Amino acid sequence: MLDKMLYNTVLSQTFSPCGKYLVAGNIYGQLAVFDLDNIFNPVIELLTADYNKPKHIHTIESGSQVCSLVTTNKFLVVGTVNQISGWDWKAIEQSKLGKPSWTIEIRAHSLIENCDINCLWYSEEEAKLYAGCGDNKIYVYNLEDGRLVNTYEGHSDYVHSVHGNGQQLISSGEDGLVLLWDTRTKKSHNKIEPHTNSKVARPDIGKWVGAAALGNDWVVCGGGPRLSLWHLRSLDVVTVFDLPDTGIHVAFFHDDCVFAGGTAKHLYQLSYSGDVRVELPVSATTVYSAVLRTTPRKVLAIAGSSPEIDLCTTFNYRDQVLHFR
Amino acid sequence: MGKDDVSTKKRRKLNTSTSNDASKLTPADVYKKVVEFEESEAQIRSAEKDAALFKKICQDMRQIFSDVAELKAKGTDEGKEKINAKRIEASLQLVALKKLNRLEKVRTRAGRDALHKEKQRVDSTHLLLQNLLYEADHLDKEVTKCLQFKSKDEEIELVPLKDFYKDAPIEISRPEVTKTDEHQLQLARLEWELKQRRELAGVCSELVASKERVAAAIAAARSRLDALAPHLRDVLKATKPLQECLALRLDEKRDETQAAALLPPPLFLLYANAGAYSDALGAKNVTVAIAGDEDEARRLEQLTNEESEVVVSNDSDSDQDNNDEDHRDSKKKRHHRTAKISKEERAEAKKKEVLKKHPLNVHVTVKNSDETAVDLIFSYMIHLKIVVVKFIMNVSKPITGVSAADVLNGDCILNELYVGDTGCDSPHPATAYLLNVAGISEQFSHFISEIGRPYIWAQRMCGLDFMAVISDKEKTNKNIQPSQSLSVASVENFIFTLKKRLKARVELMKELQDLESGKILPSKGVACPVRLSGSLTQWQSITWHEYSQTPSTSFLISEGVVSDANMLYRAIITRQSAKLVALVAVSSDYPKRAPLFTLTLHWNGTHNALSNDDIRDIERVINTNWDTSEKIQCTLSSQMMKLLTCLDVLLETMGSPEFPPDKVILQSVRGRNRMKPYKFLKQGAGVFVQY
Repeated sequence: MLDKMLYNTVLSQTFSPCGKYLVAGNIYGQLAVFDLDNIFNPVIELLTADYNKPKHIHTIESGSQVCSLVTTNKFLVVGTVNQISGWDWKAIEQSKLGKPSWTIEIRAHSLIENCDINCLWYSEEEAKLYAGCGDNKIYVYNLEDGRLVNTYEGHSDYVHSVHGNGQQLISSGEDGLVLLWDTRTKKSHNKIEPHTNSKVARPDIGKWVGAAALGNDWVVCGGGPRLSLWHLRSLDVVTVFDLPDTGIHVAFFHDDCVFAGGTAKHLYQLSYSGDVRVELPVSATTVYSAVLRTTPRKVLAIAGSSPEIDLCTTFNYRDQVLHFR
Repeated sequence: MGKDDVSTKKRRKLNTSTSNDASKLTPADVYKKVVEFEESEAQIRSAEKDAALFKKICQDMRQIFSDVAELKAKGTDEGKEKINAKRIEASLQLVALKKLNRLEKVRTRAGRDALHKEKQRVDSTHLLLQNLLYEADHLDKEVTKCLQFKSKDEEIELVPLKDFYKDAPIEISRPEVTKTDEHQLQLARLEWELKQRRELAGVCSELVASKERVAAAIAAARSRLDALAPHLRDVLKATKPLQECLALRLDEKRDETQAAALLPPPLFLLYANAGAYSDALGAKNVTVAIAGDEDEARRLEQLTNEESEVVVSNDSDSDQDNNDEDHRDSKKKRHHRTAKISKEERAEAKKKEVLKKHPLNVHVTVKNSDETAVDLIFSYMIHLKIVVVKFIMNVSKPITGVSAADVLNGDCILNELYVGDTGCDSPHPATAYLLNVAGISEQFSHFISEIGRPYIWAQRMCGLDFMAVISDKEKTNKNIQPSQSLSVASVENFIFTLKKRLKARVELMKELQDLESGKILPSKGVACPVRLSGSLTQWQSITWHEYSQTPSTSFLISEGVVSDANMLYRAIITRQSAKLVALVAVSSDYPKRAPLFTLTLHWNGTHNALSNDDIRDIERVINTNWDTSEKIQCTLSSQMMKLLTCLDVLLETMGSPEFPPDKVILQSVRGRNRMKPYKFLKQGAGVFVQY
């Protein structure tokens, strides 16, 4: 039997608040902590063969897959199956992970059915944590007291991604809907169905929308349907990106670009008009997570269904490869 | 006196002349007397006076001539008479001159004679002197020679003086005389010496005689022993019927031990230990035998023994010397012959020499309870000093199926019996050097097909431990002695490992036979819970080239978990229009290490783990130990079953009308990575959930 780490899949990553560490979570319930300082400014004398391996690999007690990660100032919030846990960053940097500082349980419907916390989004101004879950709902928690503040129901299948911008919230799901929410109400006030649009739809891949992000006036979404840019107010498709992928799982805005990746050989940086600015080759069969950080240094970490995580410093080419083994 | 003399001379002359005419005496006598007289006269008369007389006569003559001349000038008759008278005078003067001349002549002659005589006397005296000198010289030399003469008696080492006086009896030593007289002392010592030597010679001859007696006794004993051997053989023959009666294998055992004595040390160790195990485990499991040419082995042993004996002893027997000379001669003869043989043949001969095996080899047969057996033939290479193995496989039932038969191929079974031991190269570090020296340019692995494989377990079973050599570089030149303890430990381990391997291979072979005919039989105890719609349509073995060219295998190859040492197969599973091609790599120690699958799905395009996460997920389910609840060893059939199940689930959850959902599935996709449910839960009728 082979070691299962050869078939590792990373579903989510996040940086530490100081930017020194990259934390990646995989489907085996493990968290890998990589020391980025060691990788970008190595001390030559202390360089060992496993410098690009994680500094620590913590295993979550329940052993269920780590679906989502998000960083707050104090905590690393980990969304697994049926629960959201928060660990103090200092605890993460230790070699042995203790119990989480706090845990939020999301009760599953039945004993067999489990509820994945598919995506987390943290709103700093409101200190609220938005969790898009496998039971088709989006839960909002107040992190100061851990209370459930709000629940958004609207999806008929599990939620793939949640992203917020100020007062607005966007969520995409397996049912093919991209819903727009106002954080004050409980109902979605708008929706986009990319799979109904003939230019965008790809019925042989599916109607699921893997990723959706909110820009200032724009919404980018993709999944089974092609990656496309929609105007926020008119909800019309403005640009359809013609990418050779078979499913988008990652899409976000940065500077003036749209970053998108999924089941393709590259992570794409695109302009709003549809030109491909950069094609970054990736090691994973499918990219599930791409996180970007500009301070203290520019770094883009791409992870997915592979034991390797690609690091880029200039977003133009792949710089380093980290091994989550 | 002058004138008188002259006149007398004249008279004498006249006398003589007349006397000559007148006498009737013998002229000889007269002449003789005259001569005597003149000789004595010459002696008496003084030479100076005669000289003066001569001068005077000459003067007178001159005067006469001048007178004559004057007269002639005048020319008168008176003068003519005077001239005649003067003429007569002159003639008379001439006679006188003649006499004087004769006298001078006589004197001269007499003087010369006297001188001659003196000379002769002087010469003889001189000669005498020379003779005497020579004689004296000769005598001198003789004297010195005599003085230098060393008599033999001085060369004889004599007993020192003190000992002589101590040991010698009185009658010989005679101290009274010898102490004073050196010559006598010497004589006495010599006498004593002689006596002692005679005694010792007597003793010596006695000892020689006794030695010869003893040698004769030894020869007699030896001949008796030689005569014994045929007697013993007769006795043995006589016991044969008794042995048969009692069913004892003594004869065969003796033959075997004889043959065993001729084995080289490593093979002997192997034989001894394997034989021990054969006795312990019973002949059903392990049998040991020796095969090969015993005479050749005996010859070889003699050769090596003689070589080693020559090295060891300095005073060899004459027999030994003869043997060596024979060897040397025969070697020379061989040299002579090889000079005519061509280079290729010489190279061939050299190659054969280096790769020469000992004529005896050990057969170890390991049998399984189901009658499959491996017959291993261990041979020892004399020059390269390693053990090589050849094999013969025996199966009870004929094997159907092409790939199944390959699995039971001896090479395949013995490959990697222990980790890393493929038997492809010689474990002895000196082999490459030895081959180079013999002028063979090919690597040792080139010859493996001819001579067998040098497995490391074979070396260890024979007690040859090459690991120690590799670690200690100084010892590479020394000979590696077979170690008994190593052999003992290795043989036991090896036999059990081989039996396990045989058993596992037979099972694999059966599985492969089934798979080739398209049957997938579940492993014992685990019945398939659901109906599977896919079917195995092809099972074929493939080459490493084909395996490595397929894109789906690049991940496993780059991770280094699959290599060309594995057994590689292709399985094609079809369900309606979907075709799943699985490339299977089975390792040598199956089922300890599970087979590894790489999948390519042909349906709506070509998908493999590099392009499609669903396929990758199925590979994960099959290849890895994700589901740690199952601790059963994975067999090929059970994995094929799993594969079929996963394929069904995948196709049915695709949402295509071609594959209507047949299984009970809770959630067809789950999570951001949209995992399909491959895990089977035994709840109710059985339900598939995600992991």
